[in-house]
Amino acid sequence: MISDEQLVEESLAGSALAFSELVERYQERLLRYLLTRSGNRADAEDAVQDTFISAHRYLYSYNPRWRFSTWIYRIAIRNAARQSKGEIREVDVIADESAPDPLEECMVASERENVWLTAKRLLNQDAYSAMWLRYVEDMSIKEIARALDKTQSWTKVTLFRGRRSLSAELTEGASGAAGRQIYGRI
Amino acid sequence: MDEFEHRLKLDAEAIQAGISPELRSRIDASLRATEQIRPVPESRAPGMNLWWASSLTGLAAAVIVIVLINWIRPSAVPVPAEQVADRTVPVAVDELQGLYPPWLIKTADFASPLEEELARLQADIERARENVKKDIDFTF
Repeated sequence: MISDEQLVEESLAGSALAFSELVERYQERLLRYLLTRSGNRADAEDAVQDTFISAHRYLYSYNPRWRFSTWIYRIAIRNAARQSKGEIREVDVIADESAPDPLEECMVASERENVWLTAKRLLNQDAYSAMWLRYVEDMSIKEIARALDKTQSWTKVTLFRGRRSLSAELTEGASGAAGRQIYGRI
Repeated sequence: MDEFEHRLKLDAEAIQAGISPELRSRIDASLRATEQIRPVPESRAPGMNLWWASSLTGLAAAVIVIVLINWIRPSAVPVPAEQVADRTVPVAVDELQGLYPPWLIKTADFASPLEEELARLQADIERARENVKKDIDFTF
């Protein structure tokens, strides 16, 4: 199987198929992550599209020292942050408070709450992203710090606190709520 | 991988993130419309290829200057020590001495005003010291 980095080289050499293969590999992973960040599915899809456009346009700036996944997540996280600040798209729709969480709509029906919904409720966006990159994308501390543009110390502390807070919420119920009160929203 | 990590992974997979054909075609279309930005190669300054020519020109100029200096400079003929001394100390010094008035004045004429001034200063210091001493005695 050709590595991501080789596909980048081929794409830089002019191969459209190589970049298409990269899109194929990352489109679902990015959409899944962005669904949890964006306000609705349309925004998440726009963010995925913008991420691939940016990646394609600035592919020459990719540094093979880092994994391609780190680089493309870095772009996606920036796009999502800009989108949430309203820089990319003006939200002209008044939010309907009765509407369910878009993430909730994407969940497979289950008896218990999806842990990522709990995480979204408990953690701030950076901490949430750090947890996602660590436990879903299996990134190292160094890669997460790079993707989030934070220090490694910040990443370690945030992951530790996020895990502790989430574990407390999931396993102990009421005591988890007490723990959350102590540590606040991470 | 512990139970907590396993649950995080499973729940992430439970998020349905299927890519619709519309989204994929949108992505493909936007990629076709987007050109990759290529870094502009650093163009070398036009003079960079002619470094050897400028070096040679500089070297040649230096050689010409050295040759010219040596060509113009007169050959060093050894000069006797007496002649050097005559050039250094002009012979006309004795003649010029007659033009000036005699400056022979006794040293004491110059020194006495200074000695008087010194004596006055010492007296002033002595008075100042006595005044300070009195003030100190009054204070304590």
